[in-house]
Amino acid sequence: MVQRSRVPYLWLALGVACLLFGSYQGLFVAPAEQYMGDVQRIMYVHVPTAWNWMLAVIFSFIVAIGFLFTNDYKWDARLEAGLEVSVLLAFLLCCQGSIWAKPTWGVWWDWDPRLTSTAVLLFSMLGILALRRFVEDAPRRAIWSAVATIIASVDLPIVYMSVKWWNSLHQQQSTPQTVASAFHLPLRVNALGILFLMIGFLMLRTRLAALRLEHELAAPPLYAHEEAGELA
Amino acid sequence: MNTGIVQGGWEFVVAAYALTGTAFLVYGISLWTRLRREQK
Repeated sequence: MVQRSRVPYLWLALGVACLLFGSYQGLFVAPAEQYMGDVQRIMYVHVPTAWNWMLAVIFSFIVAIGFLFTNDYKWDARLEAGLEVSVLLAFLLCCQGSIWAKPTWGVWWDWDPRLTSTAVLLFSMLGILALRRFVEDAPRRAIWSAVATIIASVDLPIVYMSVKWWNSLHQQQSTPQTVASAFHLPLRVNALGILFLMIGFLMLRTRLAALRLEHELAAPPLYAHEEAGELA
Repeated sequence: MNTGIVQGGWEFVVAAYALTGTAFLVYGISLWTRLRREQK
């Protein structure tokens, strides 16, 4: 039986509050960057989205392994949630990056290693979600999508290291030492905001997937009738 | 004159924040709607 707790809504409310405060700080309080000017303010949503997207992919990878080890459908429901939230964040990440690239690089998109490897992971996860729609047999669907998620997740370290391994147009990872302290607050508060939103979304989406599975795996009326007849 | 410094660009900033907010809002509404339908 799937529980109906209000906890996910609390996470969502906390996430919205953090995002509103962080965005206010990023848009109106933090100073403009020396070279990128006001366009740099896009970083206060782009970078936190990237961090949380990576967490969502790691979550999907862990729950995929969890399913293969336990064969418990709770893990499959979590996997479906992880995949969908990963796709949402990857899509946002690519769009925000594009909007930032136009005024700074002069193009909306470039097939550079970081962008290309991110797009590959986005479409891989979209493909796994499509696969789940097409396979009607629940055990087969769960195993196939868990294996496909583990294979797709191999791309995540490539995304992370791409700016170091290849000559990339995308800048390398920043650290607190390379970012001015005036930029820390909006970055961190927005990162927490998106993290809390993501937790709320994951919990609700897991509940939705579990409800669907519960309906799907319940014995059909004919079968239940035959079973009752056998027992009588 | 080309100074190497990005001038203006607020329209891009507004677009990025608006897109982020809209995406989260639309996804949240879609989740809530799908959950309600499934719980009936």
